[in-house]
Amino acid sequence: MASNQDSNRPQNTRAIMSFLREHAPFSSMDDTHLAHFAEHASLRFFADGDVVLSPDDGVVKRFYVVKQGRIRGERHNEKEDRTETTFEISRGECFPLAAMIGERPTRTLHRADGDTFCLSIEQDAFITLFSESDPFRDFCLRGVSSLLDQVNQRIQSNAMASMGSSNSLDTPLERYALRNPIVCSPDLPVRKAVARMHENNVGSIIITDDNRHPTGIFTLRDLRTMIAEEKGPLDTPVRQVMTPDPCRLPADADAFEAAMLMAEHHFAHLCVVDDEQRLIGVVSERDLFALQRVDLVNLARTIGTATHLRTLVSLRSDVSRLVDAMLAHGADSGQVVKIITTLNDVTVRRVLELNLQKNDPGIPFTWLTFGSEGRQEQTLLTDQDNGILFRTPEGMTEDQVREKLLPFAQTVNKELAECGFTLCKGNIMASNPKLCLSDREWDDWFIRFIDASTPQNLVYSSIFLDMRAVFGPTEPLHELLEKVLTRIRKNALFQKMLAGNAFQRKPPLTMFRNFRYLNDEKKHALDLKRQGLAPFVEAVRVFALANGVETANTLERMEELAKKGVFDPKDANAWKEAYSLIQAIRMRAHQEMLDRGEELTNYIDPDDLNPLDRRILRESFRQAQRLQQKLEVTYQL
Amino acid sequence: MLDYIKQWLERRRAGQIGDHDWNNLPTPKSAGDQLLSDSRLIVLDLETTGLNAAKDEVIAIGAVAISGGVIHLDDQFDLILRRPELDISETVLIHGIGPEALTQGHETEDALLYLLEWMNGDPVLAYHSAFDQKFLEKTLRAELGYTQQHLWINVADLLPAFFPDAKTGGKGLDNWADFFGLEVSERHHAAADALATAELTLAALNKARKEDVKTLKDLNDKLRYHRRLQNMHRF
Repeated sequence: MASNQDSNRPQNTRAIMSFLREHAPFSSMDDTHLAHFAEHASLRFFADGDVVLSPDDGVVKRFYVVKQGRIRGERHNEKEDRTETTFEISRGECFPLAAMIGERPTRTLHRADGDTFCLSIEQDAFITLFSESDPFRDFCLRGVSSLLDQVNQRIQSNAMASMGSSNSLDTPLERYALRNPIVCSPDLPVRKAVARMHENNVGSIIITDDNRHPTGIFTLRDLRTMIAEEKGPLDTPVRQVMTPDPCRLPADADAFEAAMLMAEHHFAHLCVVDDEQRLIGVVSERDLFALQRVDLVNLARTIGTATHLRTLVSLRSDVSRLVDAMLAHGADSGQVVKIITTLNDVTVRRVLELNLQKNDPGIPFTWLTFGSEGRQEQTLLTDQDNGILFRTPEGMTEDQVREKLLPFAQTVNKELAECGFTLCKGNIMASNPKLCLSDREWDDWFIRFIDASTPQNLVYSSIFLDMRAVFGPTEPLHELLEKVLTRIRKNALFQKMLAGNAFQRKPPLTMFRNFRYLNDEKKHALDLKRQGLAPFVEAVRVFALANGVETANTLERMEELAKKGVFDPKDANAWKEAYSLIQAIRMRAHQEMLDRGEELTNYIDPDDLNPLDRRILRESFRQAQRLQQKLEVTYQL
Repeated sequence: MLDYIKQWLERRRAGQIGDHDWNNLPTPKSAGDQLLSDSRLIVLDLETTGLNAAKDEVIAIGAVAISGGVIHLDDQFDLILRRPELDISETVLIHGIGPEALTQGHETEDALLYLLEWMNGDPVLAYHSAFDQKFLEKTLRAELGYTQQHLWINVADLLPAFFPDAKTGGKGLDNWADFFGLEVSERHHAAADALATAELTLAALNKARKEDVKTLKDLNDKLRYHRRLQNMHRF
């Protein structure tokens, strides 16, 4: 009967019902109630910037659902005398809730952000639905108390983070305090407790009972006091000299709370405990301050001097933790990717050095990296894209050199894979005989590549034209690059084909600035790498190669192009910023996947982002569209 | 209004041909000084058996009304005409109205009289209105002997007149719908196309208000001026 009823309804009523069904709370409402909404609805249009609802309008009498477009809430900040956006309401979302339920005027000015269509019902239809539909009533009541407040809070905290004001302190303690703290039982003599601290190079030891509940803490300061004040011999059980009942915080408390507690009680250490008060970690004052300047130098040195592959593998988790802390600090994504690349470079070099010590093939070579590593834009999710460039020694053929280098490269590729650099699916690796070439062979390869532009070559261009030396002499690569760049500068056809190829990578926005999803299978997924970053990378590469910019890094290329007057400086800045923001969102997503123990991917669902990030992402994609327009105009695509 | 439609539908189902007041059909309004913000505008779309007004026939009528710059969904018209004699084989793929629906549609005469009453003589807007006007006038003349002239406004002219710089990539309804990010629920369904056309009209009326185009006459003048400008460009 239901379908029969449905087909009796006018087409437009059915269409509105199916639109509503896609969104909460309508998705859980009965058809009769949806029909009531649709039949009593009116459809209104607001041009970009039009006021939709104002505190001056009096008691609100109409309830809206955004059908297309966006509404933003504006409040006047009296202190700073400027208007702030307090929330955004997008497609399928309702407003106003609190004012409608409270039968009062709205407190926030609602303004159309872009051309916007809204469905609305008048108060009487709203009351009918409110009294007859449980899901609708629940949603409205819950929404009043939490929804907008939540959104508001999230935007505030994000704004604070982006301003960089003391944001390091809202990192949850578990993000960096989680480790096995040094513990002992209450009866252990002080001498042994101190020995254990010394062995582990820590300044404190936690005394726990059989249930791992912390009962006390003993620190170096306590030891100093004990000796200075002659409180007893070193054989005294630690429970007699410990500070009983140490301060504790749950793992989800943030660094700010920890700092406050320490400042208040003059403690240098805090216990981090789980729900059942069992010890899971210790935070020291030094840990909190160490957060402020992430110890990159030390980590790089440790990697660079590691003596075993095993050590290198274990250090990779430190890299991840470092990235985590830096992102939590709101570090610039451009810096973070460079640091990851630096640490990756150090790792690659160390793997090569360790292998040379073991088994030197006896022929000098330059280890090349391509693609994102070549551009110094690596994130934690990274493939191996590498190759070898050598000069053929007198009296040897190129194949003879390869015979010696290839087994070496194979071991290196395998060991890098153990360190977390995934083996390249396309076999773009130094152990591939086609990528272990002499300077002459590479040059020939590039001549064919540029002069006979095939679709496959254009795909390769994204990999091989972003090239860098990581190990070995750099001069051969510099010479090679000079020839390649000159050739591309002279070859307008190749440039145009590159440009045409780059132009195919459309930023994922529809005409109306909504997200265009990956495909029907991944209904709500955006690929931040292929859809978000690639349009920038590819377009910038074309301009860089055409204008003789040698660096491979996308941000540096943009800077160079601005210096050369190819890009307007303002444009270049906007594009750099947009590119960095997409990268930052991608890296935050990676860290969250790591936290959840998931495999890293570049897919995100924009619906999972908070409204501010969603807006940032949308604006960044729009900048990519502008960059592509420049490509279109320059190369008359 | 919805109740009115329901009543009418019930009467129809009961087999009764509606009692229409033939002598007092609403008089078509002209483009006078009535304020756009007060006017009721009909936005209409027809599905036909083909493109040739001389031999093809209307098979479905969809329309919505805009009052005070708002589309009120309780004031709409969505009917398939009962014309089992028509050959629709050529266009069935476009509008999806099969022979079965046509035999179950509404009695043509009845539906047309109801349409005239519902329209209330208000101005009629349509996308490429010349097409709909030709077909509707022909049908009204043939079925009812009705010959009164209604005021028609072409939305395909209205949009570029108010959004001259819009890069729509084309002149079709789909181009403009894309430009404003609209989703047409079921393209080539008369009522869905009428709603999409009406939504676009809302955008144009919003712009009109800001450009001080206040009355129906102002609007008509603006369109005439736009058309003249277009014609000049053509030479």
